[in-house]
Amino acid sequence: MAWKSVCWDDIKEGDELPVQAREITATTIVSTAIASRDFQDVHHDYAAARSKGVKDIFLNILSTGGFVGKYLTDWSGPEGELKKITIRLGATVFPGDTLTSTGKITKKYTEGDQHLVDVDFNLSVAMGPHAWGTATMALPTKG
Amino acid sequence: MSQEVYEKLQAMVGEKAGPFEAPNEINRAMIRHWCEAMQDGNPLYTDEEYAKKSKYSGIIAPPQMVQAFCMAPLWPKRERHDPLGKAVQMMIDAGYSGVVATTTSHEYFRPMHLGDQLSFTIKFVSVSPEKTTRLGTGHFLTSEYTYRNQDDEVVCIQPFTVLMFKPQV
Repeated sequence: MAWKSVCWDDIKEGDELPVQAREITATTIVSTAIASRDFQDVHHDYAAARSKGVKDIFLNILSTGGFVGKYLTDWSGPEGELKKITIRLGATVFPGDTLTSTGKITKKYTEGDQHLVDVDFNLSVAMGPHAWGTATMALPTKG
Repeated sequence: MSQEVYEKLQAMVGEKAGPFEAPNEINRAMIRHWCEAMQDGNPLYTDEEYAKKSKYSGIIAPPQMVQAFCMAPLWPKRERHDPLGKAVQMMIDAGYSGVVATTTSHEYFRPMHLGDQLSFTIKFVSVSPEKTTRLGTGHFLTSEYTYRNQDDEVVCIQPFTVLMFKPQV
């Protein structure tokens, strides 16, 4: 399979990333929690979550980071390199939610020999934004 | 919060713990499990042939996976001195029983190659003055994790902020 990567030269500030949506199931919550080795009961045990006043098990923070990284490199292709990600956390993600990811290029610049972009991203559910922030990525150039 | 607890927390600023070793080296099985759950198809993480030809000359782990490699085992339990854990307990004892993570950030300095052995240190960075928030009155506590590889090179620095608040009845 040939992999394509977004080229820094072709990007403009204001460009939007393709929207992605993922249906979140209990399996998503549990499989991502365990893949990130987070065994806190609220991420896999419905009764434990209920007893703590939450309506259901919910997505853990490490997986939020995983989803953000996946969204960004799905867009950039494998040659896009994550340099820095800052994530603000809001609404909780439960089974049955649709997690919708959007993003926009807010800055295009160089630093030393690196060709960088800042991307504002937002992962939302119906209740509101779950995770939003800014990522800095280095992209390949045509040269 | 009583001035006394706030002063104790401020005195803890700069307190460090670690280094703590990751239970396993960077390995294919954990990477594949992660990619499968996240549905991350980046070939650098799982496609040997592609990764070999890349600038990394081999498989790397998803950078955002750094903390996953360093999580404490479920069994046997490991006692870890953790200044953030200590600060959180002090806040709970002072009546701030609500806790919610507000911001997490990763800055990446080195890729994680198969076989790399990570370790990390934790530093307690700050406690905010009392703030009124949507959730209730509380304080923001910030700690910082620094992850290094076997060559003592910094792989990632991760500041992490939680809000500890008095739940509104």
